[in-house]
Amino acid sequence: MDAPTFPTSLNIDRSLALAGAPAASFARLWQSLWVQPYITAALLELCRLTLARLHQDELELAASNPHVEPGALPRERRDPVLAGAADKSAAFTASEKAVLLFAECYGLDPQSIPDPVADEVSACLGEAGLVFLIEALGCIDGRIRTARCLRDLARFAPAREDAHVG
Amino acid sequence: MSAKARAAAPATRTGNPIRDSALGLVPETVAEIVALNGAVWQKSLVSPTLLEMIRLRNARTVNCVYCKAVRYEVARADGLTEARAAMIDAGYQESALSAREKLAIALADAYLGFPAGVTADLAARLAREFSAEQIASLFVALVTFNFTSRTAVSIGGMPADPLPVMLVPAASTLD
Repeated sequence: MDAPTFPTSLNIDRSLALAGAPAASFARLWQSLWVQPYITAALLELCRLTLARLHQDELELAASNPHVEPGALPRERRDPVLAGAADKSAAFTASEKAVLLFAECYGLDPQSIPDPVADEVSACLGEAGLVFLIEALGCIDGRIRTARCLRDLARFAPAREDAHVG
Repeated sequence: MSAKARAAAPATRTGNPIRDSALGLVPETVAEIVALNGAVWQKSLVSPTLLEMIRLRNARTVNCVYCKAVRYEVARADGLTEARAAMIDAGYQESALSAREKLAIALADAYLGFPAGVTADLAARLAREFSAEQIASLFVALVTFNFTSRTAVSIGGMPADPLPVMLVPAASTLD
């Protein structure tokens, strides 16, 4: 028997498909985030892990991202992010550190992102790259929130009574 | 919130407010964001009033000055007057909003909370009032409203003071 699959940001499209056309559009947007010229899928995955850590979501942290090539995130790059210590790690370039710091600030409060933090990303990725990063972080954060709610709805779902006919 | 706009809108104007915002700088995503916004307003499985209520609740929580000022005409036509929109505030539970409307706002708050999550009581009430398809529809709308308003806040350059209410035809955001 297959192990139960819990909703995470990586698989909620199956649950949301019940919503029809808007869900299909949202799923296409999600797919497009992983193939663009601004940020590698591996770095975007580290952003996802940063937000998952801030949400203190163990299932999200344990989920395997199919958009990231196997081996693309060795432990020396993954562990500092999970520990919230990417800024002190020699495993990241200055550009990667700027992106991860922006993700951290975004996850804490988008209203409070310091201008120098945003300026650094813009200097590394350009304005379009900064806007893309902001969009992607919003999608990831929203999907983590949705997954958490879907898990609760499934956990607390009232037992459905079978219909009795005749 | 940063008073400085961190990205400029594209120089070429299209007449579409999403494409003409800084989101238009990212050709890899903007078409699908326009499509998603259109699909949410045209093909969701709940009423425009409920959509607008959760959109405004999100705008209030995220503190997006633009989003708080916007009113979608389709929701106004569906009966969401300004007086009723004003009830989507602290103390909405004691307002004259319907039980279904209050439940949609409660779901928005569950999504927007930290940590996000649904209580057993809310889950039971949602299951009695909404179908699984409608709950999925509410989540897609919530994510859409939430990530776009957070995007606007993160890009910065918003006025500090509230803006006057702006009626927006949903069709104006479509291609």
